Amino acid sequence: MAVESNVIDAAGPYDRAKALSAFKLGDLTFYWITRLSAISVLLILGGIILSLIVGAFPAIKEYGFAFLWTQRWAPSADPPVLGALGPMYGTLVTSFIAMLIAIPVGLGIAIFLTELCPQWLRRPIGMAVELLAGIPSIIYGMWGFFVLGPFLANTFQPFMIKIFDGVPVLGAIFAGPPSYLSLFNAALILAIMVLPFITSISVDVFKTVPPVLKEAAYGVGCTTWEVVRSVVIPYTRVGIIGGVMLALGRALGETMAVTFIIGNSFRISSSIFAPGTTISAAIASEFAESDGLHQSGLILLGLLLFVLTFFVLAAARLMLLRLEKKAGK
Amino acid sequence: MTDLSVSVSSNAHLASQQVLPEAPAKVTVRNLNFYYGEHHALKNINLTLGTNRVTAFIGPSGCGKSTLLRIFNRMYDLYPGQRVTGQLMLDQTNILDPKLDLNLLRARVGMVFQKPTPFPMTIYENIAFGIRLYEKISKSEMDDRVEKALRGGALWNEVKDKLNASGLSLSGGQQQRLCIARTVAVRPEVILFDEPCSALDPISTAKVEELIQELSENYTIAIVTHNMQQAARVSDKTAFMYLGELIEFDDTSKIFTSPTDRRTQDYITGRFG
Repeated sequence: MAVESNVIDAAGPYDRAKALSAFKLGDLTFYWITRLSAISVLLILGGIILSLIVGAFPAIKEYGFAFLWTQRWAPSADPPVLGALGPMYGTLVTSFIAMLIAIPVGLGIAIFLTELCPQWLRRPIGMAVELLAGIPSIIYGMWGFFVLGPFLANTFQPFMIKIFDGVPVLGAIFAGPPSYLSLFNAALILAIMVLPFITSISVDVFKTVPPVLKEAAYGVGCTTWEVVRSVVIPYTRVGIIGGVMLALGRALGETMAVTFIIGNSFRISSSIFAPGTTISAAIASEFAESDGLHQSGLILLGLLLFVLTFFVLAAARLMLLRLEKKAGK
Repeated sequence: MTDLSVSVSSNAHLASQQVLPEAPAKVTVRNLNFYYGEHHALKNINLTLGTNRVTAFIGPSGCGKSTLLRIFNRMYDLYPGQRVTGQLMLDQTNILDPKLDLNLLRARVGMVFQKPTPFPMTIYENIAFGIRLYEKISKSEMDDRVEKALRGGALWNEVKDKLNASGLSLSGGQQQRLCIARTVAVRPEVILFDEPCSALDPISTAKVEELIQELSENYTIAIVTHNMQQAARVSDKTAFMYLGELIEFDDTSKIFTSPTDRRTQDYITGRFG
């Protein structure tokens, strides 16, 4: 022991307090850098909301709440008549149909990849899903316009129209004529675009299920389906819903691909095979040649999208809370 | 020194324990070999589990005890690259038959794991879930079965007022008894315990051990344990395994008082392992 302490003494005067104070400065810098980064998020968010409100103010003053339930969109009339009902309807309907398709397919892929897939097939499928997420939305738009649209209009749409012809309600939803540009085509493209989000997040959370928990479920005699339904999905539902929310957020706001194939019609039709528009598609296709009240109306649309997304995500949060209560946590 | 006193005290306990007569075989293992890929994990195992008897498996870590247990309900089937040769019979059923319905097998051969594994659902559902897989019964019958299973797991009095609470809200010992109750609820014939007490405190351990003794009246039980006194306390037969081989298999009292193999003696007196 004595030898060791001699060695330390021999190292010369060593000011511990000074060394520590240097650390303190580093610590303080680190603290403020992280804090400023966090605050900047709030500032940016606030700034965006504020500038949206300022830009939308003339339209708010002109149309008031009637903007929400007016279907007519006639920017070149004098004075211009603007209403957000068409784009809002289109946004909600396309996102809803997209999620209706993407959630089961996405979860199905994730379940297959984690529970059933033979090892050698796992990487190719996993990589294909990730590549799907990497395709730029403009490509999806062009593909939807040149390939998917004509294909659906020639095959799937006439088929559905024929089947449901004369059936109440469903007949109106799947009414003709088939169209290259429609709400349904846009929804299908959206579904393909959000699929990777749902799949990759679900795969990640499925992997967090402890193997022993799955073994226990197999141990009481469950089939793979029963294990997935009763153990894997309940265990990971918070993560899954998180992935679905991310996907929904993307579907609500997706612009480029939708603008290509939705037809940009502000008229609301009962048929999902009819052209329509979404908020973001309306803004994208008209913003460049708008001015004055028209432009302010488009900014107001953007503000509405903001609010809409906020409410949808808040509703999802609420649903999650209620689920947790029901599970007895 | 402490090791010696341990073996002495367990011997004292054994002196009072009667040796039960030979029971008819429930599970018969003949020339069983098991491979993890290239690794030869179990070598030529031969033994029988007597009906309504408790058989303990002891041995140092990695000797293949848990592996053997996981063959009894074909749990190894979940993972690729693991294979088995030899013969393994549950009564007249060939457990290793590739065409065997694994879900039915696992309903007949229940398993309790090292860590408590309550399902992410309520206490009631944790029990009802397994029953519902095989039986369509009314709500009131189900209530009965759940109560009976929870009583069987010595848990009823602690949870009867909060059956709708999450299974995860229970303490570790309670969770483990819930898992035992869940296993019992599907009315298996054999119950496998894979170190069921290693994550539990002494009081919970005592409760689980007591439970195992009670269960042995109706079930054939196999238990893997690292706790020698536990093996001595709960089991009728003990199998000592070492490096994938079954070294010695005999009445528990015999194994703990006069083992025939040198390695068994070294292990139970704590000289290695």
